[in-house]
Amino acid sequence: MRSAAFNAISDKVRAGERLTAGDALALFEEPDLLALGALANEVREQKHGDRAYFNRNARLEVTNVCYASCNFCSFAKLEEGMPGAVTLTVPRAIEALRSKVDEHTTEVHVVNGLHPGLPFEYYEELLRALASAFPHAHRKCFTAVEIHFFAQHYRMSVRQVLERLIAAGLQSLPGGGAEIFHPEVRTRIAHDKATGDEWIAVHRESHALGLMTNATMLYGHIETFAHRVDHLLRLRELQDESLKLGKGRLQAFIPLAFHPDGNGMQKLPGTTGVDDLRTLAVSRLVLDNVEHLKAYWVSSTPKVAQIGLSFGADDVDGTIVSETIYSAANKKAPEGLTVDDLVRLIREAGRIPIERDTLYNVVAEHPRAALEGQFKVRERLQGRHLQVVS
Amino acid sequence: MIRIAGVGFLNAAPLMHGLESDPDVELFLGPPAEVARRLAEGECDVALVPVAAAANIGEIDLLDLGIVARGPVRSVVVAAERPIEELERVLLDASSRTSVILTRLLLRRPGIAAPPHEVIASIEGNVGGLIIGDPALEVEGRFPHVFDLGEAWNQRTGLPFVFAAWAARRGALTEAIVARLRRAAVEGLAAREETATAYARARKHDPERYVSYLRDTISYSIDDAAERGLARFLSDAAAAGLLPPPDVRVVRDRSVPRRPSIDSLLTRAADGGRLSMTEALRVYREAPLFELGLAADAIRKRKNQPSVVTYIVDRNVNYTNVCTTSCKFCAFYRPVGHEGGYVLSREVLGQKLQEVVDAGGVQILLQGGLNPALRIEWYEDLFRWIKATYGLGLHALSPEEILHIAQLEKLDVATVLTRLHTAGLDSVPGGGAEILVDRVRRAIAKAKCTSDEWLGVMRTAHRLGLRSSCTMMYGTVDTDVDRVVHLLKLRDLQDETRGFTAFFCWDFQYERGTRIAPGDHGTVLYLRTQALARLVLDNVDHVGASWVTQGPAVGQVALRFGADDWGSVMFEENVVSSAGTTFRMNAAGIEDLVHRAGFQAVRRNVRYDHLGTPA
Ligand code: SF4
Ligand code: SF4
Repeated sequence: MRSAAFNAISDKVRAGERLTAGDALALFEEPDLLALGALANEVREQKHGDRAYFNRNARLEVTNVCYASCNFCSFAKLEEGMPGAVTLTVPRAIEALRSKVDEHTTEVHVVNGLHPGLPFEYYEELLRALASAFPHAHRKCFTAVEIHFFAQHYRMSVRQVLERLIAAGLQSLPGGGAEIFHPEVRTRIAHDKATGDEWIAVHRESHALGLMTNATMLYGHIETFAHRVDHLLRLRELQDESLKLGKGRLQAFIPLAFHPDGNGMQKLPGTTGVDDLRTLAVSRLVLDNVEHLKAYWVSSTPKVAQIGLSFGADDVDGTIVSETIYSAANKKAPEGLTVDDLVRLIREAGRIPIERDTLYNVVAEHPRAALEGQFKVRERLQGRHLQVVS
Repeated sequence: MIRIAGVGFLNAAPLMHGLESDPDVELFLGPPAEVARRLAEGECDVALVPVAAAANIGEIDLLDLGIVARGPVRSVVVAAERPIEELERVLLDASSRTSVILTRLLLRRPGIAAPPHEVIASIEGNVGGLIIGDPALEVEGRFPHVFDLGEAWNQRTGLPFVFAAWAARRGALTEAIVARLRRAAVEGLAAREETATAYARARKHDPERYVSYLRDTISYSIDDAAERGLARFLSDAAAAGLLPPPDVRVVRDRSVPRRPSIDSLLTRAADGGRLSMTEALRVYREAPLFELGLAADAIRKRKNQPSVVTYIVDRNVNYTNVCTTSCKFCAFYRPVGHEGGYVLSREVLGQKLQEVVDAGGVQILLQGGLNPALRIEWYEDLFRWIKATYGLGLHALSPEEILHIAQLEKLDVATVLTRLHTAGLDSVPGGGAEILVDRVRRAIAKAKCTSDEWLGVMRTAHRLGLRSSCTMMYGTVDTDVDRVVHLLKLRDLQDETRGFTAFFCWDFQYERGTRIAPGDHGTVLYLRTQALARLVLDNVDHVGASWVTQGPAVGQVALRFGADDWGSVMFEENVVSSAGTTFRMNAAGIEDLVHRAGFQAVRRNVRYDHLGTPA
């Protein structure tokens, strides 16, 4: 029961043509989920074959104090001295990480609230301390929202902020804080932090300085499909520019499913499994210039992430030793997964587990499942998917 | 050592001459269904199987030696008191699928499966009976009208009919096996008279009838004409939807035919065609996820209203947790005498049932451990009380529990089911099927009933007019072959009885307290397994999504992989929830999830009749 529009779009995808906003909207509305998934899977297998990536990472928030008031975030309006407010000194931060980082950890991931009372030097000091304590772990720190906040708060340009942080040891930016770019949505859920344009400007600047970054989208709350499409197209445009410049770029796109519990948007229904997979698939098809797509297991649950590896995703993120933003809102997600868990998760999905570092260099290739009953993913010619006429 | 399985019928004896005393041969003799099972499950190298069983397994090589009729066969007949054209019904001895299928092709009359002794006893007036094997020879001359199926086939097609043949998995007929079987046949054909005479004497029958049967009626070589007859039968049966398209060949030389592509298998299944065991296994292992899903989705749409997903408001009540079985995967049971053991009182039960009624529920699922303190009268009283007080549908007592009661009371299963049915039982839940392969069953629960016992309870229940669901719990020590075998056993029984309403599957849910190693099996495997079941169980109307074990999000996706039912709104689910899975959902939650997965949610009863959408 796939629509006529879908058939035209799949012809375009197979011919390597770029999809329009109208196409993307039609894909979000396509009733035939399997046809959509199969098409995204075709693109995914062309780019990555049967490979599926994960890394060993450790996360930390040095502060959850935040002056902003995003509706979906449990840190919103948390002030120093309020119950639950925590700000770590640099030595304490390093100490907290020691229990999570071992010699195999390839990435430390630091994101924080927008703390109005810390000096900028605090962040520089933090980066230098990370570099000396864990020289083998790539430092992926501060969302674009934080960078933008630093620039405003410490009266510098974004470029100056980035240059100083890079000098102190910053190696790449995570993709957080993107939410939904479109002002109709953003002003209602995250009105007092970087706008969509400002978020993009930070990444553009970062790319120009040679940094790799990621991008996210928080979906499944008050936004429409059109808002999601707008979000994806803005990212695609940014990536076009950055690729032209040839320095840094977006490495991975990560759709984040909105979870309604434990935050200021509890009345919303949250996403469905179908929506999670659909969003992955459309993202894969629309973001033709972004190499990697993550089925972030913390957000979608490991069960859905497994299926996501057939709906366009090629990455499940990392072992993640702690993840407060999500675990505050969603108690169902486990605390962290071991490497064995992730290897098994990927194998069970019929893919080859590849441990990567932040820049997608291969750290270790785990052999494909010796699991009984594993399924071969055949090399498929374009368009040879079964058509069931019903 | 050659492992050979054969049937104990007289007409097969010439093919097996001398095998029993050969030290290099391990010979098993049993009923045809058991022989076919051994071949399917790899427990023998070569087997003398009915040709329908060979087609059902698929990718089979047949040796050109078998049981062939070139005219009347005498041992496969429909006997009646009236002329065949006047019969309204034919009772079928279901022990030979080949003969049942042949009857269906030749005599377009409604057939009803029944055990052999009942068939003969029931022949009366316009009810005929299909009699097979030695009993057919024994009743020769007793009925005025006899319709010989071998003869009828020959008259219709001008071809011989092949009933059974030596069969092996493709490529497994080694020269050693072929040589041994040919030698047995040469010796056996020469000794036919002695064999028949000894057989008749042992039964105090007239030897001449048996000698002529073996020597003149049955022929043993599958020549070109017989092979054409075989091909014709298999393709007619496939066209009638009774067998998968033939994928058996008669081996004379070593030519290897091309296998059908995975795409063509999926297309066939999506169009309602039948898959053989080997084909199902290939699809399970090799078909890309989406294509498997699309084929399953096509079947769901054909068998059901495409936009509707059903669910039922019911409650799972575990009336006792005392159990003598101690299955390794079960964290729910308590041994007899354990302080944590319970039997729910009427008071507690009554409260639970009232809540079901108040919530608009239409049935309860009543299951429990195998508690030796509870006698059949206890169940009868309970059922009558529930019916009288709450009027709820009773989906109760899995086959394991029925067998337990039968043993405890020293009654046969039919009597137990009849009594419980009279007391109010409406349908039998399909739990406890696990994997219907005894090696697996023994490994996960020594005391569990055998596959045949489980299937036997269901067969009896269906014949008494009870419906049931069927299930599969995979992911313990089972292989993919075991799962396919399981599905085929369900399909075979369903061909016979049409009593299964729906199929559910899930993977073993590990929890501390069980004695099976933890193992997550993954949601992709779940979707593949459910979709495969939708393809293989072409004669079962409904497939349910096991969201309780896979989670609601995966449950929604499963609706695109062949499922048309969301199971029940649950108040409690002890057997699963004490194994760590704690998804719960109320009717509004279910309707919302189903709706947001793109379907209309409709309430149903246990027979899957739609009850309309509540306001
Ligand atoms: S999402 Fe970020 S900016 Fe918004 S309240 Fe939370 S920590 Fe602050
Ligand atoms: S699964 Fe059933 S039969 Fe087995 S131990 Fe548990 S309650 Fe008893």
